[in-house]
Amino acid sequence: MSRQPPAPPRGARTQRPRSSSRIRGWLRHHRAMCLDSARRLLRTPIGSLLTMLAIAIALVLPAALWLALDSARLLDAELDESATLTVYLERHVDEAQAGRIGEAVAAQEGVARTRPISAAEGMAEFQQALGLEDALERLEDNPLPASIVVVPLDPAPEAVRRLAGELEALSGVDEVRLDLAWLERLRHLAELGSRLALALAVLFGLGVLLVVGNTIRLAVESRRQEIEVVMLIGATHAFVRRPFLYSGAWYGLGGGLLACGLLGLGNQWLAAPVSALAASYGASFTLPRLGAEGSATLLLCSTLLGWLGAWIAVSRHLAEVRPR
Amino acid sequence: MILFEHVGKRYGGRFEALANIDFRVRRGEMVFLTGHSGAGKSSLLRLIMLLERPTRGRVLVAGHDIGRLHPSQVPFYRRQVGVVFQDHQLLFDRSIFHNVALPLEIRGFDPREAARRVRAALDKVGLLHREKALPIELSGGEQQRVGIARAVVNKPSLLLADEPTGNLDPQLSADIMALFEDFNRIGTTVMIASHDLALIARLRHRVLRLRDGRLVADEEAA
Ligand SMILES: Nc1ncnc2c1ncn2[C@@H]1O[C@H](COP(=O)(O)OP(=O)(O)O)[C@@H](O)[C@H]1O
Ligand SMILES: [Mg+2]
Repeated sequence: MSRQPPAPPRGARTQRPRSSSRIRGWLRHHRAMCLDSARRLLRTPIGSLLTMLAIAIALVLPAALWLALDSARLLDAELDESATLTVYLERHVDEAQAGRIGEAVAAQEGVARTRPISAAEGMAEFQQALGLEDALERLEDNPLPASIVVVPLDPAPEAVRRLAGELEALSGVDEVRLDLAWLERLRHLAELGSRLALALAVLFGLGVLLVVGNTIRLAVESRRQEIEVVMLIGATHAFVRRPFLYSGAWYGLGGGLLACGLLGLGNQWLAAPVSALAASYGASFTLPRLGAEGSATLLLCSTLLGWLGAWIAVSRHLAEVRPR
Repeated sequence: MILFEHVGKRYGGRFEALANIDFRVRRGEMVFLTGHSGAGKSSLLRLIMLLERPTRGRVLVAGHDIGRLHPSQVPFYRRQVGVVFQDHQLLFDRSIFHNVALPLEIRGFDPREAARRVRAALDKVGLLHREKALPIELSGGEQQRVGIARAVVNKPSLLLADEPTGNLDPQLSADIMALFEDFNRIGTTVMIASHDLALIARLRHRVLRLRDGRLVADEEAA
């Protein structure tokens, strides 16, 4: 058995295209596959539409929940404003003393604003709120103490609670009231909601991957012979994958557009009853819209999911085709 | 160009399709690989195409141990080897032109340069006038010539063919073989698996003879 001589230059006559023309060829193939995959989708319009609709439905639920949470967050920001404390002064405190205590409270660290309420003003507000003017008028003595409404700098429950303790220690202060329980409850609900939205987004994102993956798997199956032939004559995995990745991206984009449309329809469908309901509470509330930024995010996510689903489906197939 | 060193190939762990194969094919040679059906001809060619890996020994092509190629390099290796399959392996939803253009498309050729080469290859196999036809519209012999055009369009230095005349009548077979001889004349190394002993004998090239997976004869060109 003879030894192989020093390696001759391999494939001496198979010219390799220069790198600039290789890049041009690569771009050309991308463009061709982008258009070709779109054409293939259009060739089976019903099937493509059904796939996109399945993707859209999977996207609508988490997107709608996310929108709802977004409006809840807006509400929450307003509620932060109302995270106030009420400092009740002792009954025997006179107006001059009340003024001094008011200054001390205002000077306290962590206090944003204060609004002193004299005993008489407190009574007036109370009467107005309850519509009990007659009954209370009959009381000889004003039973209400003077009070100071305090808006804290930091609306976080722990900070408010700490501030309350500090204010309670001031002399002349009887009691500090803060009603944080319902605020905290709301926060917990919002937290729960956002976690739910995240879990749903992950779950339904997987759903999109499965829908696209399954569609692409069938497409790969129907073009199996073609894939085998091009691999026999030296196609890289990237070359084989490319048309399917574009198909997946198109499915994702189409599904995203449909989802945007469905959200818009849902918005219109619900807008009238929601604003009527809000009006009955004397409030004005409009349903949140996706907006340009939200739509762009949704489309980007759906396109990427479609691309990824296709990638997984084709890669699984390529692993089978590899000789060995 | 091709060097087999103690190559063995087992399928499924027990069945030995090839055993202890040693031979070398020089650059520019034309070699026939022959033997009864099931002798291992296709298996041997599949080893060179990297469709299978040997279970023993090693295969060198152009001085490189192809068993050492990383999977990501395999496509680039295959681009340098032209292959003609017995069942043509044409794509039936594309015209003859686009079938032949496929290897150039894979390599990202400029479409104009690709078209020039495709027409040259089709001209060489005498099918230039059928470039717009679909493979299904061609006869078996014509389909095989399309397969040959596709194998040579990239100007490979090594051309492999597995039973290229399998289903053709003697005259067509002779024509196809004459085509391979033409490519060999311009420097291409050619290796053809065939059991058409009469045809092989007439052509007077080197013959490697397999029997039950063993190389039993290596007859130099007459
Ligand atoms: N993929 C495979 N799996 C198992 N056995 C195979 C496979 N390919 C070929 N064989 C066996 O290997 C032997 C040689 O086959 P092959 O190389 O196709 O011979 P030839 O091309 O000379 O007819 C045959 O007995 C065949 O059954
Ligand atoms: Mg065979």
